[in-house]
Amino acid sequence: MAKQVLWVLGVWLAGTAVAQAAPVVELEIRNHLFYPAELVVPANTKVKLLVINHDATPEEFESYELNREKVIMGNSKAVIFIGPLAPGEYPFFGEFNMNTAQGKVIAQ
Amino acid sequence: MIESGFISRWMVAGAVLGSLLPAAVVRADGLYVDQVYDPYVQPMEKEFEYLGVYPVDDNHELDGAQMHLLSAGMSLNDRWYAELGVEGEAGEAGAGFEWSAAEAEVKWQLTEQGEYAFDWGLLFELEVEREMHAREFSTSVIVLREWQRWVGTLNAGLVYEWGNDINNEWETQLASQLRYRWSRALEPALELYLAENSRSLGPVLTGRVRFGGGRSLRWETGVLLGLDGETPDTNWKLLLEYEFY
Repeated sequence: MAKQVLWVLGVWLAGTAVAQAAPVVELEIRNHLFYPAELVVPANTKVKLLVINHDATPEEFESYELNREKVIMGNSKAVIFIGPLAPGEYPFFGEFNMNTAQGKVIAQ
Repeated sequence: MIESGFISRWMVAGAVLGSLLPAAVVRADGLYVDQVYDPYVQPMEKEFEYLGVYPVDDNHELDGAQMHLLSAGMSLNDRWYAELGVEGEAGEAGAGFEWSAAEAEVKWQLTEQGEYAFDWGLLFELEVEREMHAREFSTSVIVLREWQRWVGTLNAGLVYEWGNDINNEWETQLASQLRYRWSRALEPALELYLAENSRSLGPVLTGRVRFGGGRSLRWETGVLLGLDGETPDTNWKLLLEYEFY
């Protein structure tokens, strides 16, 4: 019986794991700066962040508050899924250029 | 990007394997205290790692039988990570330190973090014993789920052991962690390890120190308490990972 319950649970988990369509928000990196530095996203909604690095060097998008860490190679794009977020501000920075590459996500 | 149909198939396979594990009651020879792997890979990432386990038990055959693992790894791209390591043992029945095995592991990130309700990966490990003809190959499904500040991770492994000095056999093993993201520097967690002759559960503390420029040290320490007579009563664990780009 326990095995059957676990089987149903496993299939249910797999079924609910299919991604929902998330709104896409673009974030650009130029000269080791994030544009826009303040990114407004809808609260309580999963968002697909498309990060475009126009610099020749790689950058790491990092945010403990968002629980995300992602290296974007030079002249490349990367996708970062964030949220659903409660209303509030969530700082992020570029690990390789911490003095300049800073920003925040504002969920509202 | 991997197709969603492909991902769904892997998710179903993982769920099936997960549902079968309690019935199989996890196996794998020897003390099984390790680390719980997340499914993520960062391009360009390099890492040096040390894992030490120090068991304490009333039984002198189990007491002080230390395990030390040193390894170095690097990501091959944004989906694959490879690591090579050597394992040493000391203290078992008063024995001195000696290198006992070589290990290779490869991790494959299957889904983007946060893309689905669960994040998925696969871990392949090969271990070759030094002094006896014994080999072990395992494939583990890595599943991770976030609930706000809580993170639950499961590594469910299928292991095949073979060699002239051991019985050829299939086994299973399970490692899981429930972690609270309190701060970057300090996160408490609870870990569970189940294998053929080893069952342990206990609290762990983990954290990360950043040095800038992509360099950081992740540390993890804790005590896994034996849940049966075959597992040492207390197993102290220390994990250090120096990451850089």
